[in-house]
Amino acid sequence: MNWQAVFTAMLPEHLLLAGIVVLICVEIAAARPRGAAALSFMVLVAAVAAAVWLHAGGYVAAPFAEQYSTDPASSLAKAVVLALAVPVVLLARDEFEHSRFYLLLLSSLYGACMILSADSLLTLFLGLELMSLPVYVLVLLAFRRPESAEAALKYLVLSGAATATFLMGVSLLYGASGSLALSAFTAALGAAGDPLARAAVVLVIVAFFLKAAVVPFHAWAPDAYEAASVPVTAYMATIIKAAVLLAVLRLFGTVALSPMMVGLVAILPLASIVWGNLAAMRQSSFRRMIAYSSIAHAGYLFYAFLGDGPGRYEAVVFYVLVYGLMNLLAFASLPPDADDAVRDRLEHLRGLFHRDPYAAIMIGIAMLSLAGIPPLPGFIAKFLIFWNVMAAGYTLYAVLGLVASYLGIYFYLRVIQVLFMAPEAEAAGRGPSRGAALGASVLCLIPAILIAVLPGWVIARL
Amino acid sequence: MSDAALLNVVLYLPVLGIALIALVREERSVRGLSLAVTLVQFLLTAVLYVRFDGAVEGLQFETRLPWIPDWGVYYQIGLDGYNVLLVLLTAFLGPLVVAGSFTAIQKDVKLFYAMVLLIQFCMLGTFVAQDLFLFYLFWEAMLIPMFVIIGMWGGERRIYATFKFVLYTAFGSILMLAALIYLVYSLNESTGITSFAFADLYRSRLPIDVQTLLLLAFGLSFAIKVPMVPLHTWLPDAHVEAPTAGSVILAGVLLKMGTYGFMKLGFPLFPDATRLFATEIMALSVIGILYGACLALVQTDIKKIIAYSSISHLGYVMLGLISVDLLGIQGAMIQMVSHGLTAGGLFLMVGMIYERCHSRELAAYGGLAKLLPLYSVFFMILTLASVGFPATSGFTGEFLALLGAFNSSWQQGGGYPLVLSVSAVAGVVLGALYMLWFAQRFLFGADKAPHQPVADLSFREAAILAAIAVAVFALGLFPDGPLQKTELAARQYQELVRTERVAGAPAPQVIAIEGTAR
Repeated sequence: MNWQAVFTAMLPEHLLLAGIVVLICVEIAAARPRGAAALSFMVLVAAVAAAVWLHAGGYVAAPFAEQYSTDPASSLAKAVVLALAVPVVLLARDEFEHSRFYLLLLSSLYGACMILSADSLLTLFLGLELMSLPVYVLVLLAFRRPESAEAALKYLVLSGAATATFLMGVSLLYGASGSLALSAFTAALGAAGDPLARAAVVLVIVAFFLKAAVVPFHAWAPDAYEAASVPVTAYMATIIKAAVLLAVLRLFGTVALSPMMVGLVAILPLASIVWGNLAAMRQSSFRRMIAYSSIAHAGYLFYAFLGDGPGRYEAVVFYVLVYGLMNLLAFASLPPDADDAVRDRLEHLRGLFHRDPYAAIMIGIAMLSLAGIPPLPGFIAKFLIFWNVMAAGYTLYAVLGLVASYLGIYFYLRVIQVLFMAPEAEAAGRGPSRGAALGASVLCLIPAILIAVLPGWVIARL
Repeated sequence: MSDAALLNVVLYLPVLGIALIALVREERSVRGLSLAVTLVQFLLTAVLYVRFDGAVEGLQFETRLPWIPDWGVYYQIGLDGYNVLLVLLTAFLGPLVVAGSFTAIQKDVKLFYAMVLLIQFCMLGTFVAQDLFLFYLFWEAMLIPMFVIIGMWGGERRIYATFKFVLYTAFGSILMLAALIYLVYSLNESTGITSFAFADLYRSRLPIDVQTLLLLAFGLSFAIKVPMVPLHTWLPDAHVEAPTAGSVILAGVLLKMGTYGFMKLGFPLFPDATRLFATEIMALSVIGILYGACLALVQTDIKKIIAYSSISHLGYVMLGLISVDLLGIQGAMIQMVSHGLTAGGLFLMVGMIYERCHSRELAAYGGLAKLLPLYSVFFMILTLASVGFPATSGFTGEFLALLGAFNSSWQQGGGYPLVLSVSAVAGVVLGALYMLWFAQRFLFGADKAPHQPVADLSFREAAILAAIAVAVFALGLFPDGPLQKTELAARQYQELVRTERVAGAPAPQVIAIEGTAR
């Protein structure tokens, strides 16, 4: 084994691991552990820097042959996922003092990184579980109302079902091809192949649909998002979703889909866009609305896989980045309130512009961007996806997807209406201080502006 | 400073203005700042207009920079005969809108002027963009400030009206986006170049059925904006509920986006489909003229009268454009500007009387001529311009557009087009009827309103209206200048729409219709 490769290739993971170890030590040693947020912030920044450095240097290595490898694409994916986690830590600083939160967060991120470098379905499975297990606890960690327990259980059970489906698919694939390598999956994906391999592929894709909350496997998301605390919801809506989609990207590679798979990858996501956008219109809880919006966005993201090889990679990475930034911007700007259930109500945002213009404008920008209204970055991300779908020859699917995305405009605008055009809400209860959250919103805003002004420059660097 | 840089300065001045507004605290200085920004913008635009050479074909003051090189998207802006008048109109109305809102807007002043400047930026951007991607960006971005302006400072049903406006327009836009992607992609398929530049897209060749579908998608988006009957139902609501500034921007410039879109993109990009459906489009325009006029006749809300008259007046623009006759096209171009001036001015005047008497019901008013003589003089001027009285801008526009429609239908051998052109003339009569009847009840009827004595126009208000009146007469008495600056563009449009570009056809050929070119 080449130790130097092990060290360099896994540098982001090592940094995360070091952070976890230090956090545990501090937890054991100190009577009242403090500074966990600051420590994990620094660890994350270092890990992002490491991933960017690996990407920029074009580093390629396979420290564990056929199990784990690093290439510029995977380094970039890691950089995106880890960078999106930085604002989450800042957000959490206002809500969670205890180091447990950060420990779980870093472990989950370790799992996410592992997924993005996985070469075999086994490593992928390990990564997926390592990423998901801490999240069940994170949902419960902010135990503020009885629904939290119910939601965490629901999430656990459905995620368990996803895991079982995934393993079933993997075992079928092993039976069909005798291999656990990702390439075996990719080969089965493109070929019309034998029924066993096809069944395996379908099962694996369904497992990812479940994890990414695509209709009809979406029911867990609104409950889980609503019941968790703001930072955890932000984490689930952005990083988990990003990691899952980037994992699918790694799984699918650049292979063109067989006609049967096209049906699967187009129709369920289309249903997801339609249903997510329709259901979001009726929500009175902000996080539930975001959950349905994320169901719709999962639809757009899977749409990207209809496109061809390189365009697919570009579209998914760019979309995940923009979508994550915009969601985090909205979450970071939510006005504080001591009562979590009150804070979550859309009503709570009424007339926010008159109380806190900056926060209202930030949430407004985030909503319009998620709706895909130009010149905000969300439009360019959406354009990229539909451009690729159209270029791959699926004109009808592209048109249907665009029309379905129109349905979403209403509920995003409704948030703007509540923020700007409604009379001010009753004097809201004061929450904890918001310095760090403000930092998080600035951290999301700056790259968003950069993407809006110079999209070409950003895309060329992916 | 080079002229190209000057055009960029004109375009980005409002953005600078927004940044400055964010820093200023006092409401007074916000107003002053916005007025200064829009005034400077207008003066610079006037300089550009004077320097614009009507004898030069193609773009002037052009800036072209790679923006998203991977997709062949360029940041390309410039002036040509198509947009030069509309850019001038937009910049001209800017300071008037700002000054016209000084007393009307007392709530959230900073945001209001920021939004006005933002929409000013988006509208100018839409006009000067020479790249379809850039055009779409500005086109769609315009919705955001308009949504906020109607929704925050509008009347009682403002939320309903603003959602209706945005959802209507966004539906057209989303189909346009699909069509846009398809168009650029098929250009890439057939020629190997990926480009969003208008100039390149004019060379695309598509089968007739594809052209029809794409024209339908682009056309739907533009027709909603114009608005053409039967897609007009958002307009009365938006106009009535919008604050004065919103109505002026809507009527003055936003509606012209639709006709400009048809002129610059819809018809020239898909010429064969356009020719195939010319009669249908013409019929829709004439229906718009007559239907809008009839509706305006029976309204009791003064804002609604002007709103419906807009539908009617923009029908002439569409009629002129679809006639593909040189006079008709030029008439359409003049009519766009003329309608921007008259409808914008009338909405401003309605806003002024509303500030004084707080009613928009026509029945509440009467005999204003005695109470507010100055106001009434300006109102009559704008009314006469609106009905197309000779020596005003309305005459030039409507007359040329109708003449063009006649010319082309006559040369095509009469039939339906001729019947339609003749019916369009009835619109002129109806137009005179509803506007003059409106003025008669409003200004000269029995004394009714106001119940309390009110002041006539202030200096600020008089200055605003005087500027519009001067422009109305200038365009009516000396249409030569604008006509000369737009002539080459009109000819280019004519040629583009007449050229056969069906995929597979041997070489582009102009379908000559005898005697139409002067």
